[in-house]
Amino acid sequence: MSSRKKILLKVIILGDSGVGKTSLMNQYVNKKFSASYKATIGADFLTKEVLVDDRLVTMQLWDTAGQERFQSLGVAFYRGADCCVLVYDVNNSKSFDTLDSWRDEFLIQASPMDPESFPFVVLGNKVDVDESKRMISSKRAQAFCQSKGGIPYFETSAKEAVNVEQAFEVIARNALAQEESQDFNPDFPETIPINIGEENQGCSC
Amino acid sequence: MTTPTSPSAVHDATADPPSPPSPTASFYDMSDDEEGGYSTIRHSKTGKGVKLLYTKSKVYVHPTPSAKDNIPGYIALIQQKPGLERSTSTASQTAVGSSRGAQSERNSLLLAWVPESSLGSASEIYTKVELADGDSPPKQSYLVPPPPITTAHSSGLGTYAFAVPLSEVFSILVRPPSVGWWFGSVIINTKAGDSFPALFFHDSECQSTIQQRKKLQRESFEISASGQGMFWGGDEVLRWLKRYVTVERSSQEPNIYLIDPSDADKLSFGSGGKPTTDNVRNVLEGKPKDHPSPSSRTKDAQMDPMMQALKSARWNFLEKMSQVTTFTRRTAQAVAENKNVPPQVRRLLQDPQVRTVSDEFDSARLYLARWAMGIAEQSERERNQRMWTARDVMEMEDSEVGEFEILDAEQMSLTDKRKPVTLKEWNGFFNSRTGRLEKTVDEVKERIFHGGLSPEDGVRKEAYLFLLGVYEWDSSKEERDAKMNSLRDEYIRLKGAWWERMVDEQGTLEEREWWKEQRMRIEKDVHRTDRHIPLFAGEDIPHPDPDSPFAESGTNVHMEQMKDMLLTYNEYNRDLGYVQGMSDLLAPIYAVEQDDAVAFWGFVGFMERMERNFLRDQSGMRLQLLTLDHLCQFLDPKLYAHLEKVDSTNFFFFFRMLLVWFKREFEFTDILRMWEGLWTDYLSSNFHLFLAMAILEKHREVIIDHLKGFDEVLKYVNELSGSIDLQSTMVRAESLFLRFQRMVEAIDKKSNFPVPIVRQRLPQPPSSPTTTTPGADGKPRTSSQSSSSTARQNANRAVIANGPGPRPGSSSAAASASGRDKTTGDFVAQGVGAEKEKVISPELRILLSKEVPKLDKHEVREHGGGVGS
Repeated sequence: MSSRKKILLKVIILGDSGVGKTSLMNQYVNKKFSASYKATIGADFLTKEVLVDDRLVTMQLWDTAGQERFQSLGVAFYRGADCCVLVYDVNNSKSFDTLDSWRDEFLIQASPMDPESFPFVVLGNKVDVDESKRMISSKRAQAFCQSKGGIPYFETSAKEAVNVEQAFEVIARNALAQEESQDFNPDFPETIPINIGEENQGCSC
Repeated sequence: MTTPTSPSAVHDATADPPSPPSPTASFYDMSDDEEGGYSTIRHSKTGKGVKLLYTKSKVYVHPTPSAKDNIPGYIALIQQKPGLERSTSTASQTAVGSSRGAQSERNSLLLAWVPESSLGSASEIYTKVELADGDSPPKQSYLVPPPPITTAHSSGLGTYAFAVPLSEVFSILVRPPSVGWWFGSVIINTKAGDSFPALFFHDSECQSTIQQRKKLQRESFEISASGQGMFWGGDEVLRWLKRYVTVERSSQEPNIYLIDPSDADKLSFGSGGKPTTDNVRNVLEGKPKDHPSPSSRTKDAQMDPMMQALKSARWNFLEKMSQVTTFTRRTAQAVAENKNVPPQVRRLLQDPQVRTVSDEFDSARLYLARWAMGIAEQSERERNQRMWTARDVMEMEDSEVGEFEILDAEQMSLTDKRKPVTLKEWNGFFNSRTGRLEKTVDEVKERIFHGGLSPEDGVRKEAYLFLLGVYEWDSSKEERDAKMNSLRDEYIRLKGAWWERMVDEQGTLEEREWWKEQRMRIEKDVHRTDRHIPLFAGEDIPHPDPDSPFAESGTNVHMEQMKDMLLTYNEYNRDLGYVQGMSDLLAPIYAVEQDDAVAFWGFVGFMERMERNFLRDQSGMRLQLLTLDHLCQFLDPKLYAHLEKVDSTNFFFFFRMLLVWFKREFEFTDILRMWEGLWTDYLSSNFHLFLAMAILEKHREVIIDHLKGFDEVLKYVNELSGSIDLQSTMVRAESLFLRFQRMVEAIDKKSNFPVPIVRQRLPQPPSSPTTTTPGADGKPRTSSQSSSSTARQNANRAVIANGPGPRPGSSSAAASASGRDKTTGDFVAQGVGAEKEKVISPELRILLSKEVPKLDKHEVREHGGGVGS
């Protein structure tokens, strides 16, 4: 299993519905924007191989449905994440207000070993929209990120490919750092018992 | 009759020169004697109509490796100008020299490919010419609209049709079919160095080739034309050409046929900038045309058309696929060794060049695996001519799951019943005077379940209202009219209610906020629902709300109706609220009804059964995923064992399919056909779970052999979207259901259990929406279930919540923590061999029920997550 040598970074993208999670991901991976992505149902991911400081890593970017009630099933994907990207729409204050609960929810569900140091990145998307529609100022967003322990913050436009590459570079870097810190301190054993079923007492024989 | 004679031909002066694209057949369908007439009169006067000399149908362009995208068409030899000489079977002699006459004849001849879809009524003539005796040029002349002349293959823009003057053709690259059903192909290379897309001859569908083959057999020739391999469509094309031009096989490249080669060409073939196999391949691979060939010529010359397809596909597709997943390097090899993969694909996968491709791209393997699946599927379809019979079902059972019982052949002999129900047939179900149904409901449902409703005559508009429970089956016409009238009033009332609230800003701040948010959500989703359907595509009216994010792009009347209906539903069912996915469920109903009030009530009916999918705590979805889990264990323990091994028994990868009933996996037209079948509840009110199971079974080999983790399974299943064949899936689902039913009966009989009364169990939501800790949920609501039911749900929930990730002991740990494990009663076989006794869980038993799972109002209030909760 030589492929195991490859580093796989699992990144979860969260945020309210319609803030542009799918678009950001597709802009980064496929260099494409479409105004007509359907609302994401369930979950999906894209992968992209990138070089981080001369190391080839595979990023697995998980896209989830934004409506909160779908999250209770989505927790399955949070596990083993190396970085969490919180997205809001700068023209929609509600989507900014919910960032905090997205973050909390993630920490509860993913239960990383050291929640304090777990890497988040915040993206304020849709900066291409007319300035008059803007609801959340850079200042306000930065203040929020500061208060949460200095979360990196980018203002992006998936539509016009503004800052997307830069943001994901930081995401990759932070995820890699997280992954490596885990290596010293494995959360769970790398080897996996195969026949869990046999340990069950009540099997139906 | 060698010279054009008098214009006596204008017998059809009454028939006005038709305007393309749909000329009347009579105009083109001229008789033999008028041939001269057409030449002089028709052509000079209108410039319309060219003479179709030969043609062959079912010649496809394969724009992508997916069989779904194949475009059927005709390859044709067309005479564009007045024929100077009447060609006879010895015409090739006249063509050999370079006399003026022959030259201009060559100029006037076009080799063309036209898609079937563009022919309009001219297709009759094409069929006629195709089926005319091919040994001599047609005695009659048939006129068809002239195809646009092209001398270069302009890539892109999606048009593949071409017509190239024969004088411009340099060579034709001919690849006979290699194995059985795989298609022979030709590629036309022009003197300018262009290559047209490969044309694939689907000979098994092509009437004229079938005829010709039969004829060859009758005349006790071998079925082969040239002594090597079966006679195929490409041979025929070369035969036509030989009547008009010199066709010379290249000695260097046996697959290249040179058209009217000059002496220089003959000498120096392969150089001088003229297309060669290498050049062509290089172009396909995006390299400079004269890039040196990496491998020996002889090898390339034998290159399979499949190889060609792969090569052209390579850059377009594989790169995209590379972004997909994290396949292991062994997979290609494993696919190549899979016995279910057609031999030629297997061979292909073992080709070193292809291996390079798969190594270059991390997930080319996934792509290849799916592609192989597609090819296998296609050959299956060709064999069966899309007519599913009992035998197919039984064969399928044998091959897929094995050990299936032989089904009652009569029961499954449905070829007749599978015709769609037309409006005429539908109306015949009802008494013409009273409008009361005169058949049994079950009979009608059976017809719709198996045949579907005709997409063409509007029968759906009415039938849907019955299927969705807007109309009672036993109602009279009068009663229905009265009901619709009151429903229209009610719709207006409900719509007015939220409208007023919005305008007057009634309610508490919290309520106002909630409504505002609902509006926002609906707005966003409607603007991204089925916009590829013409009905919803336009942005022709300004958006009523200048503050909307869509104010700049505009909207259309149907999207506005959609928003109104969804908001009205919100008013109607305030306990649930708008949840993503609802717009997907409404759009097809609205598209059929195209009347907002009618569509709204149809949607209300649909939502009664779908409501459980949208609860805040997702209990309804959990229950269905769990049922699918049990079903898979029950029907296919081996597959289940594999899914267990790769942490995929949460079945989350079916979430999307179950939530919106496969809406994202099929084309719109397929969805209508599927849903109307599901709405009948003919076999089971949970038949959608058998559809899911049928999809899973179809891919079981690939899943078992190649998918090694939850992420891979999820990706693979997600990517099935758009590639699932509906008809065969429905047949498979039915056969799975029947098998399931028989197994249950057999087990019941064996255990001598009285068959328990089946009751539709309602979802069992946990008390807190996000809890993953077992043991925290509420009481099971169905007292009729066994006492272990609570514990079971706990454990099951733990399994579902557990999800992917490295395989920790957590699933068993969680289960143990809840004080139980998979006990004797519930679970079957545990995927360890089929010898273990199968026991039927309550979840499974419900699958035999036809009663639609509906929620009580108070349940929705409690768990819905709407404004009331």
